[in-house]
Amino acid sequence: MLTRLIKYELKATGRVLLPLYAVLLVFAAISKLIFAFSDNSYSVPAVISTMIYIMILIGMFVMTFVVMIQRFYKNLLSDEGYLMFTLPTMTWKHITSKLLVSTIWNIGSSLAAILSIVILAFDEIFFTGLLPKFFRLLGEFFNSFGLNSGLIILEFILAGIICMASGMLIIYASIALGHLFNQHRVLASLGAFLALSTVSQILFFCVTSLPGLDSLSEYVDSLDNLQASAFMFHWVMWFIIIFFGLLSAGYFFITNYILNKRLNLE
Amino acid sequence: MTPVLECNGLTKAFGRKKALSDVSLKIDHGQIVGLLGPNGSGKTTLIKLANALLTPSAGEIRIAGMTPGLSTKKIISYLPERNYLNDWMRVQDIIGLFSDFYEDFKPEKAYDMLKRLNISANDRLKTLSKGTKEKVQLVLVMSREAELYLLDEPIGGVDPAARDYILETIISNYNPEATVIISTHLISDIERVLDYVVFINEGRVVLSSSVEDIREQGKSVDGLFREVFRC
Amino acid sequence: MPWDLKPDRPIYTQLVEHIELMILSGVYPPGTKLPSVRDLAKEASVNPNTMQRALSKLEEDGLIITHRTSGRSITEDSGMIKKAKTRIAQEQVLEFLEKMQKLGFDQKEILSIITGMIEEVRR
Repeated sequence: MLTRLIKYELKATGRVLLPLYAVLLVFAAISKLIFAFSDNSYSVPAVISTMIYIMILIGMFVMTFVVMIQRFYKNLLSDEGYLMFTLPTMTWKHITSKLLVSTIWNIGSSLAAILSIVILAFDEIFFTGLLPKFFRLLGEFFNSFGLNSGLIILEFILAGIICMASGMLIIYASIALGHLFNQHRVLASLGAFLALSTVSQILFFCVTSLPGLDSLSEYVDSLDNLQASAFMFHWVMWFIIIFFGLLSAGYFFITNYILNKRLNLE
Repeated sequence: MTPVLECNGLTKAFGRKKALSDVSLKIDHGQIVGLLGPNGSGKTTLIKLANALLTPSAGEIRIAGMTPGLSTKKIISYLPERNYLNDWMRVQDIIGLFSDFYEDFKPEKAYDMLKRLNISANDRLKTLSKGTKEKVQLVLVMSREAELYLLDEPIGGVDPAARDYILETIISNYNPEATVIISTHLISDIERVLDYVVFINEGRVVLSSSVEDIREQGKSVDGLFREVFRC
Repeated sequence: MPWDLKPDRPIYTQLVEHIELMILSGVYPPGTKLPSVRDLAKEASVNPNTMQRALSKLEEDGLIITHRTSGRSITEDSGMIKKAKTRIAQEQVLEFLEKMQKLGFDQKEILSIITGMIEEVRR
């Protein structure tokens, strides 16, 4: 059932976002051509096309965000919820399918943005040796700290995805909490969002000032500089992954509990 | 045999307002039941509670002995009083969705009914009129082979010709083991098909009886309704 | 024959009477097949359960025969049909007699009224 939900979620969202990606890339290409044919980069057509490109770029990210909220709120908690919640499937599958598909589009929008920049700066990247230079510098940077670059990339990707997920789940949980009220549900959702972020921040401060951390810093002091920085780097990455992972699990639980046990569709 | 729908002391409050208070009710398999009451009497609330779209404030509701959840969703075919169709879909997409999720959904039955209604499977739901959307939803709901059909105001917003078609659809798709619960305030239109009626007013069940018992007393359901709900 | 059902009498009895009348008046001659319960219910726009009950009653009375495979048909036993006809006639006459008695006619007067009426209709 989960795969079927994901299939419909992809269909419902892809029809909005995929054309946007196409427009962005096409406009990047058009801007690139205008730049190539105009003598200076401050000519009127160049400036206009750059502005339009930037507007589409911003619009794409805004749309990704709006689609994420709209798919959760409209598809589950408005009239469409009458269909979704009477389908014979578990509530957590609805949440998971929406979360997964939103994550895909977040990554998709980022990739589309990067790709459009590559198109715009095609010459600079590929003909001036900027790219190999960049990677060489990056490799040297990591090596100097004695870090395994494969592991670092993995940690970065994991941390990125988990932070992204927690950012979406806090919104889902806020909307769900707002749903507990009989009136002014949107306002209540905003309030819930403020409350949840405050609580999460307090939690973060509590955890980072745990007494055990003193002994950790003593341990780091005993290492030499190079080892210490490598250790700290991994430590921070895994701390982020685990902390935000647990936070996401909490938000997920709140959302699932409310939609399961406290559902009251208007 | 366990009743297909059973409520014990079922209460639902929205804030201070009670939409249903202390409803106890038993409905057996194999009947067409009229859930009758004026607007705002609690009919929709009761049906939504049966579909787990609302959570009871007190008391319990059971579908074939189970609390509403995954297993009851498999056996209930529900027609809400509103349009739940995703606008971006075509008629055939929503049929695909129903066949993907409901094991008891018969797509050939749905296509057959659409054809008789002159609705093209290729039409976008967005372009359909309100009445046509209602018909599409009825087709979807009646193309399932469910144990319990919950039809909330199926004949409320349509013209008399469509009303006849809807009743005919309900009769001709009716399976004698299933129970159909129809909520409405238009009684004279449907009283001929009902086995059993439940009168509901201000959140309470005021009468539940077999239709033949009412007629044995020389009364029509419509007449009795007017008597019970006289202003 | 339109299904003219009154709202203040049990549908079941009205269906039995209506189908009986259709059989006796020859709308469904002896031996013909009856439509399915569902089609009959749709035609009369009544609940299939009620139609089913009405048909079972008629089967009990011997006017309808259920075949294991091919649905229902009207009995070919003309004796059965005659018996049913007589029964309905008797019911009608009984009702008539009760009314006449209420009006204060005795047996002889009733008979003379009837013979008089028959003469008149013949002319």
